[in-house]
Amino acid sequence: MVTEFGLRLAISLTQIGAVMCIVVITVLILTLAERKVLGWMQDRMGPMEVGPYGILQPFADAIKLFFKEDIVPAGANKFIFTMAPILCLIPTFIGFAVIPWGPNWTFEINGIVVKPFIISDINIGILYILAFASLAAYGIILGGWASNSKYSLLGGLRSAAQVISYELNVGLSIVGVLILAGSLSLVKITDAQTGWFWNWHIFALPAPQIFAFVVYVISVVAETNRVPFDLPEAESELVAGFFTEYSGLRFAFFFLAEYANMVLVSCVASALFLGGWNAPYPGTLMELVGLSSWSWIESTMWFAVKTYSLLFLFFWLRATLPRLRYDQLMRFGWKVLLPIALANIVVTAIAVFIYQRI
Amino acid sequence: MRSTPTTKRLSLSEWFKTITFYEILVGMKATLSHLVNYRPITLQYPHEKRTLPDNYRGMLALLRYDDGTEKCVGCDLCEAACPSRVIRVVSAEVPGEPTKRYSKEYYMDMTRCLFCGMCVDACPVDALGMTREFEWAVYDKRQLHLNKQQLLAIGDRSFPVREKRLELQHPNVAFFNVAFSHVPPKPN
Repeated sequence: MVTEFGLRLAISLTQIGAVMCIVVITVLILTLAERKVLGWMQDRMGPMEVGPYGILQPFADAIKLFFKEDIVPAGANKFIFTMAPILCLIPTFIGFAVIPWGPNWTFEINGIVVKPFIISDINIGILYILAFASLAAYGIILGGWASNSKYSLLGGLRSAAQVISYELNVGLSIVGVLILAGSLSLVKITDAQTGWFWNWHIFALPAPQIFAFVVYVISVVAETNRVPFDLPEAESELVAGFFTEYSGLRFAFFFLAEYANMVLVSCVASALFLGGWNAPYPGTLMELVGLSSWSWIESTMWFAVKTYSLLFLFFWLRATLPRLRYDQLMRFGWKVLLPIALANIVVTAIAVFIYQRI
Repeated sequence: MRSTPTTKRLSLSEWFKTITFYEILVGMKATLSHLVNYRPITLQYPHEKRTLPDNYRGMLALLRYDDGTEKCVGCDLCEAACPSRVIRVVSAEVPGEPTKRYSKEYYMDMTRCLFCGMCVDACPVDALGMTREFEWAVYDKRQLHLNKQQLLAIGDRSFPVREKRLELQHPNVAFFNVAFSHVPPKPN
């Protein structure tokens, strides 16, 4: 009994450790990739000093942030000020527990069923992610409020205004996919998209979710506080927005949370709309050449390709678009995205209903 | 200042452009074309430096003649020409030679200098020069308050080729720094 519990714990901790490592490494790559891609798009070079072509820049940044002085401003609510970065970071990392990275395989160790490519296959995976993603916004709002600074407070308030504009649209744009897949589990949703790429939910009959995908991408850009919806941290208006007063490791937490959140929403988007770990063709090439036990590499690579393409889209948007005013964001969210998402649900529901009757 | 914006009738193509984010796509195409045709204009400054133009106006320096004597005759014209009062000259007679003057002290407050080159133009004996040095960032701005020795040192390292000292000059031309014993007497 104790050994079984210990084994389960060991397996889970191994998986959690592996996923955390992958996410943190991805964030390190992203911080460099963003600066490089932005630089290239603006005819600059990006970081070039640390290491060959600046590839060691993320480590230099990390070391710098570790050793910076940790300042708590006078008059700040110290408890909430300390808690806010953690409140921002943890929900983001928790979300990765239900992301399927690879094929839905299982194997047994001493009678314990282990799914190697997902930490926890719970049947309400997507609801779980949405719930925790909403919690992360509290970290931003509370961090802005607890700093005892005008700019932080304004950033936090803008974040609150932004939450009500995008949160609903993220949820509603997903509903069409849920109707098509008939499940809230990310594993089942991904499994429903096997085969050719036109089985992916973005193209799938009877109701292609292309509009829902667009709504989702625009909304998650707002959710992750990225340009053109980076109102809470608008550096040209509010010094750095909600993390103006943060320094050192707490700032690093906010930074990590933002990038991890980008990775999370890209993973969710690729799992929901772009077929997750499914290749654009049925099966895998590894199976064709007789290496079916290694086909998970190909699957995870496809997942990574989709996720990184979406992350590239984030950088691309940042290099292209200026920042919106927040009344524009709210008007866009409520008067454009929300009707599209609602219409998408109605159309998808009717199409699926008719499709099942035929 | 109406709360609702004026609704303009959109033509079909305009409407189509609006719903497909056409303008945003044009912008994204522009940024992507810069990524694909990647030609950075960055100069990796400390490693590679831009070639300076010939008339580059850099750090000021005091010059010497080829025999090592200072050119400066302490005439204060540079101080008068300077628009930002960078220069302060304390002029004095050369000991033992009452007809010659020199700058006993010469100070430049380079924190104020705007590198206009007027002092160089004003100098009657070309005792001032503009070098091609520009990397003069210092941690303490008092280090930019230069005295005569420092300015001469800058001149020594930037102008290795020195002008020959003229001992004979035409008597009708204003002349400085010339020992009068060498001038032939005017024929009466």
